Amino acid sequence: MAQLDIVHVSKAFGETEVLRDVNLQISSGEFVVFVGPSGCGKSTLLRVISGLEEIGRGEIRLDGQLINDVDPAKRGVAMVFQSYALYPHMTAFDNMGFSLKLAHSPKPTLREKVAAAAGILRLEKLLERRPGALSGGQKQRVAIGRAIVREPKVFLFDEPLSNLDAELRVQMRAELAQLHDRLGTTMIYVTHDQVEAMTLADTMVVMNSGVVQQCGRPLNIYEDPDNMFVAGFIGSPRMNLLKAVVVSRTPDSVTVDGPGPGRLTLPFRGFPREDGLVSLGVRPQRIGLLGAQEGVIANRIELSATLTFAEELGDVTYLHCDLSSGERLVLRSLDGHYAGGKRLTAVADAASILLFDESGRRIRPAT
Amino acid sequence: MSGASVANIEPTAAPSGSFVRGPALSVWTILKWAIAFCAVIVAVFPIWWMVNVVFAHPGEPVSINPRLYPTSLTAGFEKIRMILAETDYLRAYYVSLAYSLLTIAGVLLIGSMAAFEFALFEFPGKRLMFAVVMVSLMVPTAVTIVPTYLLTAKLGWLNTMQGLVVPGLASAFGLFMLIQFMRTLPREMLEAARLDGATHFQLYLHFALPLSRNALVTLAILTFMRTWGNFAWPLIVAPNPEMYTVGQVVGLFNSPYSHQTVDVVMTANLLAALPPLIFFLIFQRKIVEGIAMSGSKG
Repeated sequence: MAQLDIVHVSKAFGETEVLRDVNLQISSGEFVVFVGPSGCGKSTLLRVISGLEEIGRGEIRLDGQLINDVDPAKRGVAMVFQSYALYPHMTAFDNMGFSLKLAHSPKPTLREKVAAAAGILRLEKLLERRPGALSGGQKQRVAIGRAIVREPKVFLFDEPLSNLDAELRVQMRAELAQLHDRLGTTMIYVTHDQVEAMTLADTMVVMNSGVVQQCGRPLNIYEDPDNMFVAGFIGSPRMNLLKAVVVSRTPDSVTVDGPGPGRLTLPFRGFPREDGLVSLGVRPQRIGLLGAQEGVIANRIELSATLTFAEELGDVTYLHCDLSSGERLVLRSLDGHYAGGKRLTAVADAASILLFDESGRRIRPAT
Repeated sequence: MSGASVANIEPTAAPSGSFVRGPALSVWTILKWAIAFCAVIVAVFPIWWMVNVVFAHPGEPVSINPRLYPTSLTAGFEKIRMILAETDYLRAYYVSLAYSLLTIAGVLLIGSMAAFEFALFEFPGKRLMFAVVMVSLMVPTAVTIVPTYLLTAKLGWLNTMQGLVVPGLASAFGLFMLIQFMRTLPREMLEAARLDGATHFQLYLHFALPLSRNALVTLAILTFMRTWGNFAWPLIVAPNPEMYTVGQVVGLFNSPYSHQTVDVVMTANLLAALPPLIFFLIFQRKIVEGIAMSGSKG
């Protein structure tokens, strides 16, 4: 159990800045997931925490102690790698007990700790096998076991499930969640897969270009993104972002021109500006088809669109359409099968539309 | 059955043999095997001839009625016994073996330590140092042999084991081969070991050495072949008969003023050829594997 503080951390490889002034407070026992597109700096941040990568500027404190210059092995962190990184010439038992062997732990202690970790991960029968004789999922469990044996204050996972097939990934995800409940240790997990991030995280940290874009509970981030990047990155299919021009406002609403023909009036308390460009954000799940039985929407807006292709997934169909402005709109048809024509009218609840300013920052209603 | 199916196939009707199951007997196949067979005869016949001459009564294999197979095992063993008992062959064996094994140990130790640093870590001057090593690989032995001799003589190491061994301890070829191999070792594994608390030397001992085993075995065998068969260097640096290697002793048997008959000379040759032959037969799979793996994934 440990509190981890990341204070003003920056890191550059030559001219390229990969981390820019990252500040995070990770509470004891929390499951934190760093998520972002590849090259966003999430793995570098994890490696900086582990000590495998030198910190550029800033401080990392574990339980209040500065660990910037502490040797990786002595930081009290353990890491699980994407490629498992098991030692191929050692058995699963030796792999898991290697750190204790190096630390000259007495043999009974070593055996006891490895057995305990193997019990948690159901590896008892595989301990005498070498990595070459283990399946992908088993290898990853041994790698996690190797981390558990070290009894770290913080577990670090670097895309640990990326090499597994889809079914096994779902299973391992559940096991990791259970493991966290059982051990109660602080865990930091890096992934580019937002489903993993949403399902595992207590706290999700969305990163892009070395900058923390937003940090919070997964559903809060999904419902209430801070900027256009987060709005677009979290959620699948991604949020529709449509350009519009502000034409007028009242204390309780704002009227915009575009993206369809005609003007839209959106409920918004205290819109800050009288004119200018904005982006309207609406999730595909919040747009339906005119005529579909989706209940009565109090304040609805309608957009006419042309269907370009339908993504029929069985339980749900996503319709990809073009608006008259040339922008792409994705909406959800509740039926598994789409039987409509090329021309359609999309309907959305005006209250579900989010507004972003020209720089991509969210414009929030006054409270 | 297979004979019938082969007979049905026109040699020209099977363009590449890809549609025919079983052995397709084309002209090309026969030619290929014939060439391979000739090559094998060229390679094996001298060795077989050596065995043939040793295990026969003197003069028999080259008589008017020559034999291509051994006729007398006892005659052969008698010659071997005679050579071992009446010459200093056993001492030469000991010198050669010590020379080879010490060189192997040194080459593996120095080569693997240097390759570990070159392949897996960054340090100032790395590129320059690597370039120097590679250049030394390109300098022929004939150029370096005189200065190396002078240096060894100055150190007072003539006619000593260290004089034989030490100049051959650092092998540029071995270093190059091990670097190529160790470059393919996964970095994440190294990092995992670092997180597990391994010191720099423990990384070398528990990670680099065991994972490079195949390359090390290959290098050991190649080094053995090289040192066992090395004639020039021992001849120059250890002219004292007490320090003669097997190669030099065999050279004495073959020298113009030697009064030995051909079969005794052949017995000396056979005894000299035996250790590398046994080494090769035991490790030939490893040699091929090691050389094949030295460039690709571990």
